[in-house]
Amino acid sequence: MIPITHFLYLAFGLFVIGLLGVLLRRNVLIVLMSVELMLNAANIVLVAFSRMHANLDGQVLAMFTIAVAAAEAAVGLAIVVSIFRSRTGTDIDDLSLLRD
Amino acid sequence: MSGSEIIFYAFAALALGSAIATVTRKNPVVAAVWLVATFFAVAVNFVLLSATFLAVLQVLVYAGAMMVLFVFVIMVLDVDETGAAESRRPSRVGRLGYSLGLLLSAGLVIWVLVATLSKQFVTTGVPIDPATDFGSADSVGRVLFTDYLFAFEAISLLLLAAVIGAVVVARSRREREKHAAAYGMTPEAMAAHDLTHPEAHEEMVDGPIPQTDFGVPSAGGHGGGN
Repeated sequence: MIPITHFLYLAFGLFVIGLLGVLLRRNVLIVLMSVELMLNAANIVLVAFSRMHANLDGQVLAMFTIAVAAAEAAVGLAIVVSIFRSRTGTDIDDLSLLRD
Repeated sequence: MSGSEIIFYAFAALALGSAIATVTRKNPVVAAVWLVATFFAVAVNFVLLSATFLAVLQVLVYAGAMMVLFVFVIMVLDVDETGAAESRRPSRVGRLGYSLGLLLSAGLVIWVLVATLSKQFVTTGVPIDPATDFGSADSVGRVLFTDYLFAFEAISLLLLAAVIGAVVVARSRREREKHAAAYGMTPEAMAAHDLTHPEAHEEMVDGPIPQTDFGVPSAGGHGGGN
């Protein structure tokens, strides 16, 4: 039996790696991937506690997180495509305007 | 060490290692492949937590659909694969991000380690033994379509909005003009609305100064408002 804290350590490690990716990387695609990593870490925590309490609510919530992450990726990548068309670059430091 | 423990530690190490590889690779395509490895390892962890249906969803939605989307966009964009952006000197905001990111992450690490190792804020409970069909599509579906029915419908609306938003945001200017023509807008009217054509504004300054609703002559611009 694996103790639940070890799942929490795993989720925590993934979250910190994702957080560092969001804050330190400048390629906007990798920033989006890091956001997905952080959402996955949150999912692991939800599922771990769902297993611990033998309650399915956590798993259903994790399912909703996956749907929201899919919507976020679709809109985020559309914005990346739109920015790339007008600016030819994926460096987030160059992106400071809301118009083209 | 039991079999499930060996599997857990192996795949937890794989998840963490490939997550590190994801955020450190210069080439976004390579990063996307490492991200797929992370998602698979996380799916294995879901199976160990007896969330079998969620593990299937994880592989289908994350490792399947979302990765295809990422790789497709990377291929369309023809992005810089040498990582020149990363080696440039960071801007002031970028330097703030570096220091803030390291500080925040270090604080999180210290906080969680203190909280878990001191056992002061954590009381370890014994996991309740779940039912035999815990986490199957049957049992999850029962909860999803009864207690969470409204949230389920709302999520479907959110996905529809995201699809429409993505199509609207990502279409090119040529498509926008084609659509405008289909709805009877002339190219001149398009130019008057389009802020990216400065020459359209220059010729308007020469014309008669239009009156605005406030009685103050506006200095050129949109030709009597829109």
